[in-house]
Amino acid sequence: MQAIETVTVGSGGAASIEFMAVGDIPDTYTDLMILVSFRTTRAYVSDDIEIQINGSAANFSHRLLYGDNGSVGSQTNTYGQAALATGNSGTSNTFGNTEIYIPNYRSSVAKSYSAAGVSENNATNAGQHLTAGLWNVTDPITSITVLGKNGTLMQYSTATLYGILAGSDGTTTVT
Amino acid sequence: MAQTVYDPPVATYIPLQTITLASAASSVTFASIPQTYRDLVLVAVALGSTTLQGRVRLNSDSGSNYSSVRMSGNGSSPTSASLASQTSGSISTIATATTGGALQVELQIQDYSATDKHKSMLSRADQSATGAEAVAVRWASTSAVTSVQILTSTGNWAVGGTFSLYGIKA
Repeated sequence: MQAIETVTVGSGGAASIEFMAVGDIPDTYTDLMILVSFRTTRAYVSDDIEIQINGSAANFSHRLLYGDNGSVGSQTNTYGQAALATGNSGTSNTFGNTEIYIPNYRSSVAKSYSAAGVSENNATNAGQHLTAGLWNVTDPITSITVLGKNGTLMQYSTATLYGILAGSDGTTTVT
Repeated sequence: MAQTVYDPPVATYIPLQTITLASAASSVTFASIPQTYRDLVLVAVALGSTTLQGRVRLNSDSGSNYSSVRMSGNGSSPTSASLASQTSGSISTIATATTGGALQVELQIQDYSATDKHKSMLSRADQSATGAEAVAVRWASTSAVTSVQILTSTGNWAVGGTFSLYGIKA
């Protein structure tokens, strides 16, 4: 696993973080992982994280399992949901943490992804999301944008893109 | 003043083997796993030839030595359940079929080479058409893990599925 790029939001905030804004994500890996530490301007404890791929917000679908302040639930929708950030009603200086995993990002089939994350709050109201997502496009992934669904990314929000290289194909043992 | 000096970053996600199915199979096996890492991570991206569930078996142990507890969401309702005395560990109860996005499983096997503890596993299973799931699995054995087998509950893993095993250095 190797770090490809880290982006940290400066003063004034940012609408999004785009990996490989210049050039493409290297095609030398098998899978991608993104680790996110986000706080957004949304006036709520939590905010959804959204991913967009190759500059597009279309062709996404997901199902998620969530826990939030004593309640649990499950939802489905049609955008690139990718777990949670802390919103601006969360305890000061706290940031939500999320891991996004995208296997076989160079393949010529639809791309599945998973995400798991939490919003942070020094009180009883915080959240956790597990997301099963799909980008139903067969193109290789060359760029990824990560943003808050309902708020602007605040200063010191950061995200790192990692590349993971799988081992060589070995002898298949099947039964 | 004392100063802590840290080692420079090194790669810790070491690729061991990938299996790509050229023909449908009810299981895939990673054998002769080296004992030189702290943990193992298995990443599977697969479709089933029918509705199926994913299971794991360690060291070919088919005794009633596996237990698990899971939480799942199918897009409308959450569920949770536990299983005990199973002959393999449940890592995904999310049904997968030949169409739609692949079933994606990330399975972590902690401290796999230890001989003084039962083995704990954490599974994240996701398919956008069926749901998201997290499972904690225990293998009631103190043996070091030397092989990992990923099985289906019924039917086969379909052609083209990939299964990658990584060693994690502490």
